Formats: sequence, C-alpha cells, structure tokens
Amino acid sequence: MLKADNSLGIIFFPAFDWAISPTHPEREERLLYTQDQLREEGLFDIEGIREYKPEVACSEDIERVHFCFPEAEAVATRSHCISAGGAIKAAKLVMEGERERAFALVRPPGHHAMKTVQGSRGFCAINIEAIMCEYIRENYGPKRIAIVDTDCHHGDGTQDVYWHDPDTLFISLHQDGRTLYPGTGFPKESGGPKALGRTVNIPLPPGTSDDGFMMVMEKAVMPILEDFKPDLIINSAGQDNHFTDPITNMNFSAQGYAALNSMLKPDIAVLEGGYAIQGALPYVNLGISLAMAGVDYSHVREPGFNPKTLKESEEVMNYIATICEGVKEIYFNPPAESSEGVVSGNWSVRHRNIFYDTEGFTESQTESLLLCNNCRGLLKVETQREGGPMGFGLEIPAAACDSCRNQGYSLLEEAQVKSRYRYIQLINRKDKDYLRYGF
Amino acid sequence: MLLLGIDVGGTHTDAVAIGPDGLEAQVKVATRHDNLLSSIRDSLGEIVRHTDPARIKQLNLSTTLSTNSIVEGNYEDVGVIVSAGPGLDPHSFMTCKDFHVIPGSLDHRGSETKRLDNLSLEEAIASCRNAGIKVYAAVTKFSPRNPAHEKSIELAIGDNSDFTTLGHQLTGRLNFPRRISTAFYNCAVWRVFNKFADAIADTLDEMGLGHIKVNILKADGGTMPLDLSRKVPVQSIFSGPAASVMGIIALCNITHDSIIYDIGGTTTDIAIFAGGSPLIEQEGIHIGSHPTLVRALKVHSIGIGGDSAISMLNEKVRVGPNRLGPSIAFGGETPTLTDALIWKESCDCGNIERSKTGFTAFAAKNGLEPDELADQAIGYAVDKIHDSTRSLVDEINQQPVYTIHELLENRKIIPRKIYIMGGPAQAMKMDVFRKFRLSTEVPENYDVANAIGAALTRTTTELELFADTERGLMFIPSLGHRENIPRNYKLEDAEKDAMNHLLAHLGEMHVASDGSNAQITSSSSFNMVNGASTVGRNIRVKCQIKPGVDRTYS
Ligand SMILES: [Zn+2]
Ligand SMILES: [Zn+2]
Ligand SMILES: [Zn+2]
Repeated sequence: MLKADNSLGIIFFPAFDWAISPTHPEREERLLYTQDQLREEGLFDIEGIREYKPEVACSEDIERVHFCFPEAEAVATRSHCISAGGAIKAAKLVMEGERERAFALVRPPGHHAMKTVQGSRGFCAINIEAIMCEYIRENYGPKRIAIVDTDCHHGDGTQDVYWHDPDTLFISLHQDGRTLYPGTGFPKESGGPKALGRTVNIPLPPGTSDDGFMMVMEKAVMPILEDFKPDLIINSAGQDNHFTDPITNMNFSAQGYAALNSMLKPDIAVLEGGYAIQGALPYVNLGISLAMAGVDYSHVREPGFNPKTLKESEEVMNYIATICEGVKEIYFNPPAESSEGVVSGNWSVRHRNIFYDTEGFTESQTESLLLCNNCRGLLKVETQREGGPMGFGLEIPAAACDSCRNQGYSLLEEAQVKSRYRYIQLINRKDKDYLRYGF
Repeated sequence: MLLLGIDVGGTHTDAVAIGPDGLEAQVKVATRHDNLLSSIRDSLGEIVRHTDPARIKQLNLSTTLSTNSIVEGNYEDVGVIVSAGPGLDPHSFMTCKDFHVIPGSLDHRGSETKRLDNLSLEEAIASCRNAGIKVYAAVTKFSPRNPAHEKSIELAIGDNSDFTTLGHQLTGRLNFPRRISTAFYNCAVWRVFNKFADAIADTLDEMGLGHIKVNILKADGGTMPLDLSRKVPVQSIFSGPAASVMGIIALCNITHDSIIYDIGGTTTDIAIFAGGSPLIEQEGIHIGSHPTLVRALKVHSIGIGGDSAISMLNEKVRVGPNRLGPSIAFGGETPTLTDALIWKESCDCGNIERSKTGFTAFAAKNGLEPDELADQAIGYAVDKIHDSTRSLVDEINQQPVYTIHELLENRKIIPRKIYIMGGPAQAMKMDVFRKFRLSTEVPENYDVANAIGAALTRTTTELELFADTERGLMFIPSLGHRENIPRNYKLEDAEKDAMNHLLAHLGEMHVASDGSNAQITSSSSFNMVNGASTVGRNIRVKCQIKPGVDRTYS
C-alpha cells in the first residue's frame, strides 16, 4: 500500500447544495468530478492521508477580520461559513500537530473579499484564507505568515486585508490585470505605509505555462520566502491558470501545479477559483493533494495535455525573467512611500470606489491609517454602499501601542455620539474586544 | 416452517432452528478448521434429529471459508489485468505476480480518452496462460461509468479462463485500487468456494434436505442465495461479526443509538447503531494486505476476550491482547479475564477450584491480593473496551459530509444503551454498566445469538444508477444494465428505475420482496453546463434492501 511522506488532512466540502445560479461557474457541480477522481484513485486509502469534516465559522471568526456591513450574517451565507470553517479545520489540524499539512478543498472561494464587506465580489463574500490566518493568530499566538496566491485572478481581497500588516507577506501570481478581472495586481502595489514590500504582485502575460510559473517560483517567490522566514506558508490554490479554464487565458497544467506545490511546500492550501470542472479540476486537485502528501504524482495527466503546444515563447520567458527581477527589487528595497493614499495630518488616507460585480453595486470608502512610530497603527474605515447608510469600522491591531488603543476608544465614542453612522464595528485584537452597534 | 442458521466461528460452530414460536433446536459443536464441511454436517445432523426435516424451509450459513483462505494465502493464482490511465501509478496496487497494466483510459464520465492497447493485452494474456493461470480479474479505472474496456479484456481472455471477474460487476462505487483487490480476491477464492458450495448442496441432498433454500451470509448484514454466491464468493468474507449483530437485532428491540459488544474468547467486537440501524463501513473491509470494496457493517475488533491472558507490566495489571492457552478453569496455566471473573463470582464455569487456586498463586507471585488482581484486571479490560468505543464513536461523528444540509442536520451519535453478547456477556454486564452508566442488556440466548442472527437475516442487495442526459444514457454497473434515456429524464425517473431494477434483481434471485425494505440511500442530480447553457443532467441514485432480519424473535 502507498504511504505518504507527509501526513495530509483533506477537508473536502463540495457544497453539493449551494450555487450562485444554475449556470454560474461557481455552482453545485464544480467539485463533483474532483470527488469522483479522488474516490476512484483511492486517495483516502493512502496511509497518512485522511479526510475531515469542515467546521462552521461563526460571526466572531468573520468579524475578527472583516468590517461587515450591516453585519456578518447578512453578507455570508451558510455555505460561506462552512467554506471558511473548512479552512479553519485545516489550520487546526496543522497547528495541533494532528497532520503535517492540510488542504481545504472547499467552495465557495474567498480571495476577492476585501477588508470591508458589503456584499459579494468575484464569487467571494468573505476571505476564507484571512479568516483562517486570523483564527490561527487569535488562538495560537502571533505568527509570521506568507500567503502565496496562485489563483489566475489577482487576490485583490487578500491584498486589501493585509495591506497594512508587515507580519503577513502576500505574494500573488496572476494573469496581468490589463487582461483579466479584477484589473489590479501590479508590482507598484506593494503595501501600505507601514508594510511596504510586504505585498508582492507578479502579473504574468496570458499564455504563461509550466516553465514560466516555475521560473517565477525559482527566481522570485522562493528567494523572497527565504528572506521573510515565515512561520507558516499558505497557498491560495486557485486552479484557473489551467490551460482549459473557460474564464482565463493561461497555459498551466496539472503537472505544473503539482510541481509548484512540491517546491512551495505549503503548510496549508486552500482552494480558490478554477472553473474547468471536468478537464482540469479533478487532475489539478489530485496533483496538488499528492504533491502535498509527498506521493509520486508523475502519472497525473489531464486529457489534451501536450507540453509542447502549451510552451511559451522565448520572448515571453525573457519578459517573465524581467518581472521577477523587478518584484524582487521591490521586496528587498521597498519604495519610501506607498503607491496609494495621501498623508493628511498624521493619517494616511485612501478614498476608493469598490465595485461588487456579483451583485452590481458600488461602495465608496475612505480608509485611514494612523501613522504611529510605535506600532502598525490604528485603522479606520468610513463606508457607504450607493444609496445606503454610512458604516464605520475601527481596528486596533494586536500589537497596538497604548496611545493607538486609547485613541481607538475615543474615536469609537466620538462616532457614537455624532451618530453619523448607522453601523459601527470595532475590532480590537489587542484585548480581543469585538463590538458592533447599529441596526 | 423452520429457518436454520449456522455460524461457523473460530472456536465453535453454532446452529439453530427457529420456528414460528421461537427456538426449536440449538447445537454447539467444535469447529474443525481442516474440515469446515464436517462441522456443518455434524451440527446440521443434530438439528435434523431434533426437528422435522420436511418443515425446514431455509438454511442461512455464515462461513469463514473465504476469509481463512485469503488470510492464510491458501488460494489459486490469478491473472490480474488492469488499465488505469492518468493518476496514481497502478503498479502501486499490484496484488500478485501475474499483474499486467494495459495502456488505455476512460475519464470520470466514462468517455474513452485513450484506446485499449490490444497488442499489450494479447501479450499479457499469453504470459498468464504460460504461467498456468485459469482465473482472471479485469479491472479498468472508471469502469463503473463505462464497462467497455473491461468487457474487451474479458472477450480477449475468452477460453483461457474458467472464471473471470469484471470490476464493474462487483459494485458501482468508485475506488479503483479497492476494485482491483476485490476482483482479485473474488477470483482467488472462487474455486475453493465453489467446491464447498457443491459439497453443501450434496450434503443437503444426502440428508434429504434438497428442497431447502440456501443463503450465504455477507459482511453487510444480509444474505445472498447460494447460486449467486458462487459468482461473488468474496462477498462472504467477514460475515461472522455480521451474524452476531443481526442476532442482537433479532433478540432485542433496538431503537436508540446503541453500542453492541460481542465478547468472544480472544476479541471483543464493537458495533454501533444509529437509532435502530447498524452502521455500515463507508468504503469496505480490509483483508490480507489490501482494502476491498466489500460492503460491511462497521465492526471494530479489539484484543480483549474471556481467554485474554492477565500479565504484569511495570507493576500494572494488563489483560490481552495475547491468548496464552485456555483459562486456568479450563486447564490452562496463565490466569485470564474469565479466571478474574470467576474469582469475583461473576461467572460460574469450568473448574472453579482450579481457577481460584491458580489465580491466588499468580496474585501472590506478583505481590497482590487476589481481589486486587481481579479488580484491576476486570477494570483494565472494561477501560480498554470503553476507550475503544469512545474513539470509534468519535471517528464516526467525524465522518465527512458533502452538503450544507447534511452538515447542519448531521446529528451526532450519542449511545444510550449497551447490548452485550458472547460467552462472558452475563459475567461482564455489571462491570460494563458501572463504567458507562448506561442501561446494559444481555439478551436471553446470548450464547447462540450469532446463529439466530444468521437464521433470520434477510437477503440484501444494493445498486447504483448513473444517468447522463447529455449522452442520453443510463447505466447500472453491478447489473451490467445500460439503456438509452430521453433528454428530459429526471431524478424521479432515475429513482423509480433504480427501485424497479433492485426489485427485479431480487426476483431473479427468487427472493420475494414487497419492496417495503427497499430504500433509496442517496440521490442527486447536477446540471452539466457548457459555456452558459445547461447541456444535461448528471444523475446518481443509490438504493438498497435495508440490512435486517426477516422477523424478530423474543
Ligand atoms: Zn493570484
Ligand atoms: Zn480566480
Ligand atoms: Zn501606535
């Protein structure tokens, strides 16, 4: 019988009874053939690989991370809570030593969900990786975490959640935003004023295949990770870079995903996108699972796989090599100022309009970070859905200095007194004080 | 009208005859492992002497024959021909030396993605023929979705084979490695099982019982007709524990989440009931060095039984998992759990005097009072049983679910009652009760409950139906049934078809069923989308005859 080199827990939750709509790419059938493939391969009979049931994330797990307006229950369905709970289960298995690694093979995905949530964006409502990471920090103490997002779309939500966090390194590999949703993820987006260089965006040209991805891994991702020395590596394992994916234009393969994973050695992987549900997902998920477990994946091949026809030109490879040099430079020698926001007094302020494509409305938002020399700073957000009431969010980080923390509470009091806001949410990670006002 | 049940166990062969008003005869004879048939013949002879043979209608038989021949490696060489395609290396699942991998592949919807390579197939068969192979297993990946490649292999084997097992005929459930080992074992024991079946039939004829219907017990707590069992002898493995569980069902009216213990000589079998129904192993049972797809009741075995030896380790009293000969009460040298129970006067068997003397001597040698030794030994055994039960229940409660509905509705199993059977059942009852603080029952006739279970167990069968309306195809792998369906074929149609085929299949086995025990165990329908339009539905239905007893006896 086969035995895994690394014990692996798989939380497989296909949510067979949840869909955005019957023909939406994110629908009930999405993990059906993956399940068939994993069962038929006898994956769970391999010694060391075990399947687990997800947990259900509660409102507190969500509101520890997100400013949710009007509240967590209104933005996240049961299915989202289970998906996030699947990621939490994966974290528990690894943190408590029951498994060396874990793969949350769950849906719906989460990496387009930003710090502030008023609805669904890009099939995502809540950020399941971020909810997992903050669950880890809340329950197992401070951790340096690297999130490597290999979904074809820019992980704009995860980037936003960790924009101001110097202890989270966020690296996103994705199809160039000039050619794909959400249109962001350029190297100059490298983090907020207190976390410069901690966001690393690697936009890749359409048609990038296994060789291009492996070059990025070798030349940029691995050297950066080596320098950052994370306590945990998380893979946002989106699978829509596959050459058969219907909504993207990349040429990655199951072998490529497995090889990438084998090099990255993530402690935890969390499924994100991937919509070639018949021709890619079963094979890519199998490849990743085997690679994580350290079992031979060399026989995993999807139909129609022909490395020769998928291969990118020398020109493209040279272009990718240049990008790698560029992003390494940004990480190792970050710019003096953030590409976003202006300094007003001792606050760094960003005004933004965020479009919720799944639901079709725009949120206008003002986010301000208190520039503090003693901690990463107090964060406040003023937000309004078009035509909707005002919301106010305030976050006191876990390692906040006393001054920031006190200022946080006086701002909270002020916000309540002024009553400009219909909804107010406080995330105080320092004292684990989570408050919500409004109706 | 009488129903006979025979359970060929490790130590004893138990037989009972059950009439309309209850137990009419019961027999216990020693099992002769070198000649199982003689044990069966002896017990049957006894039963016939005490009853009117003309009244006997049916014999249900549970036998260790297939299990033993697999465990002892005492079976014939099999030619295993597989075709895998992409995925894990099929050579990882090599079951024997005549194992051949043929290029070719099907995908999860049953579409051929690579043609079966006829040349390699011919070579593989020639190689098996030269090795003197007479039985073959043909298994291809995703054959439950399309049996074409397995059928091609069967065709190519042709006259070379006395018997061929095709993977998709065993079950429609997916698991390629397990399908390989199940098909392999099925072939390996085919000849020895069929000889045994012939001998049973001859014996019955000789005894003037040629008219009775014979069924063989399966591990899932059901039976199959003797004729059918000749084609799927692998289904008869590990039917012993199933007989015990069915016995409890027949003897007790189980309605709550419950724990069942069958405490034997060397092991205790633990089974769990959810509500009134025994739990089934999700995949299948393990035997030899390979897991299989043989459906089985979930029974967990631990090394604690009446004959388990008492030993000292670092001044702590231990029981089992070894058996070092019989209890002192039955002529052994090392004290056992039974001797401890005798000392505490919970049990009255064997040579009490001898047991107590030996037990006192052992205690003295280890610096303990005999009372202390007995308490600690019984405590140790009960703790072991308790801990194993807890982890089994936890494991069951951890089992994956796949829909939001299941996750939210998923009710945890919380045992409310304990049923104990087997030799030391009565003696252990109070100790178990004190540990668990749960109502604990030992049924009357607990010592032959397994044979009673065998006698009353009903014939069961299960099937899976797949429909793909884009292709216009419906397929029931285990029956090899394939038919065209209209594009508007729906889940309700599939459910109806599945049930009809299930009942028709029972009819072919000459089993009368009104369908009241037939049930759909899972059913789902998924839209298949291409671009932005629905191109069809992928429908899956599973149904079964619920394992259980034909009538209860109390
Ligand atoms: Zn990405
Ligand atoms: Zn994506
Ligand atoms: Zn501060």
